[in-house]
Amino acid sequence: MTFPGPGDLMRVVRESSVWRSLFRQPYPTTSRTRALAVMNNVFLHLHPVRVKKHAVRYTYTFCLGGVSFFLFLVLTVTGVYLMFFYVPSVTRAYQDILSIENSVAFGTFVRNMHRWGAHLMVLTVFLHMIRVFYHGAYKPPREFNWVIGVVLLFCTLWLSFTGYLLPWDQIAFWAITVGTQMATYAPLLSRESSFILLGGVEVGQGTLIRFYVMHVIAFPLIVAILLVVHFWRIRKDGGVSGPV
Amino acid sequence: MTIEKRPNATADKNAPTQAPRVPAVERDRGPKLPGPPGVPGTERFRLLAYVKQESMVRVDKRPDETVLTWPHLLRAEFLMALLISVLLVVASVFIHAPLEEMANAGVTPHVAKAPWYFLGLQELLSYFNATVGGVLLPTLYLVGLAVIPYIDRSPYKAARDRKTAWVFFMSLMLGGLLITLIGSFFRGPGWNWVWPWDGIYFTL
Amino acid sequence: MTHLPTYGEVPGAPVGEMSRRSFMRRIFWVGAGILSIEFLAGTLNFLWPNVRSGLGGKFTIGTAADIASTQPTWTQGQPFGFSKARVFFINVPASEALVGGSNETVADPGANVLALYRKCPHLGCNIPPLCDKSHWFECLCHGSKYNIIGEKRAGPAPRGMDRFAVTVTDGVYGIDTSAIVAGPPIGTATFDPRDTTTIPHCAA
Ligand code: HEM
Ligand code: FES
Repeated sequence: MTFPGPGDLMRVVRESSVWRSLFRQPYPTTSRTRALAVMNNVFLHLHPVRVKKHAVRYTYTFCLGGVSFFLFLVLTVTGVYLMFFYVPSVTRAYQDILSIENSVAFGTFVRNMHRWGAHLMVLTVFLHMIRVFYHGAYKPPREFNWVIGVVLLFCTLWLSFTGYLLPWDQIAFWAITVGTQMATYAPLLSRESSFILLGGVEVGQGTLIRFYVMHVIAFPLIVAILLVVHFWRIRKDGGVSGPV
Repeated sequence: MTIEKRPNATADKNAPTQAPRVPAVERDRGPKLPGPPGVPGTERFRLLAYVKQESMVRVDKRPDETVLTWPHLLRAEFLMALLISVLLVVASVFIHAPLEEMANAGVTPHVAKAPWYFLGLQELLSYFNATVGGVLLPTLYLVGLAVIPYIDRSPYKAARDRKTAWVFFMSLMLGGLLITLIGSFFRGPGWNWVWPWDGIYFTL
Repeated sequence: MTHLPTYGEVPGAPVGEMSRRSFMRRIFWVGAGILSIEFLAGTLNFLWPNVRSGLGGKFTIGTAADIASTQPTWTQGQPFGFSKARVFFINVPASEALVGGSNETVADPGANVLALYRKCPHLGCNIPPLCDKSHWFECLCHGSKYNIIGEKRAGPAPRGMDRFAVTVTDGVYGIDTSAIVAGPPIGTATFDPRDTTTIPHCAA
């Protein structure tokens, strides 16, 4: 007599109505099902079914936009982890970072990952911009996507800057003091803009909560929306440019 | 590129017993064309729903210059994500994010620097009057970047055909890199010039 | 012969007038514009900081005698660091005597006092206590220098040290930090215009 093996189990699962309600075709092994998989899956259909050959070569895009996006995702996940242990208060923030480092399992690791990921993302976004310029990929019809890109560049820097204050240590405090003081040199409304940015006359509790809100919700949301438009337009503009 | 082999007949072994769900695209697809006579499962069809094609019989068939997203693009993306993940994990295990004493508004550390991506700006500030270096130039930088596509109207894309644009852009980028490096590694207490071998005042 | 349903002739706008449709459209967009401006203004108003405590509030220092009891050198012109309001509280006549070398003591300067904000108007570093060599305030971050009454003498700062309004009620000094009074412009030299190159300094 034969016993049912793992293959049979998989078959039962695959034939169940639950599975078939999830996946509407067998595992994509043929050109047709692969095309369908990309087209029918909400995440994959960010991509067209077929792409230009050169766009897949690492040496065309160096995957820099893709890496920036991946880092954005990594930062979102690690950031949510950190939020479980961090309170944006001048009396608690620093203690919370210490306890993340000392008593949270993998706390130091997650904090490091968030920090290095953020620095790397600033770098890859800059490099991505240079790559796009090199290929003249901002030329019609892609002009406006370049503009969105510049706004994304600014948002990336701003996310990084607002996050820099959160540990509330000496590096954070003075870097933000020096950084925001530059805003007070604006020709118009300098005092007002720094007052509303800092939530007070100098970096303090008002600043911490403002930067926290911008860092964990406002700007991630803005970036996410801009990325949707960025990616949408890449496809509407005929996919990644080139070959040149 | 648009004419594909039908899935091998053996794949039907797992076919569900109840009536399969048929995606709209399959219902809409065109009639099957017979394959070579006597070979079952080799009928061909057109994916009318999503592939544009001028005619079934192409006189002048150009070489196919596209590839399927699954697997080619997805594989590339996966490998890149893997590489970056490994890099990040290794970096995070071995290099610790800096943390100093708690913030104290009364004590300025003897080196107070902005985050690295603003050190070029801070360096500019030491050359120009603050409104110019701290506000006007950076604003001009961002706005200038944003309007590049509306200023550079030349239709050429290859770098060799647009030397002026490339030289201009790269000198901005490299200039930015240069002052950022100076601000990061050549400035110490009092924003005075310090050679890196005499001390590095830089935190990430 | 079948007739398609007709809806009558669509009249164009009478010459020189606006059609109802474009009138409505214009009203809609103008309304949407006004609403967005209101929304923006309301948001800014909402975000406007409402500082009640900490820096931004009012502080009481005490009488001249109170200050002298915590820091006797104040009557000889040494600035009194009042950390709650982040200021140097200057006994102006005594300070002028100190810098002038006459070393007079002034027990009660009355209203002739200054509350100099310790945040450097350049990039915001904390200004350290008076430099004994020069009798100037010297910021260590980028070397801005101010004389004892906060006028700018050297360095990159855009103006003299900022200050807060001081109140004297029945001899008790109070400081109102809710509004920063900008320091005197560069070039103001009502006192101690010594040349920066002729005297020793604490900051480079
Ligand atoms: C958060 C930052 C950003 C992310 C996540 C991102 C993501 C991407 C991705 C995934 C692509 C596809 C091609 C590639 O990987 O190179 C792309 C293309 C593009 N990006 Fe970005 N991008 C960002 C910022 C920018 C910036 C700063 C610019 C320029 C100022 C820019 C301009 C463009 C343009 C014009 C294209 C089309 C390129 C082509 O067709 O070859 N993007 N972006
Ligand atoms: S902050 Fe004082 S000189 Fe720059």
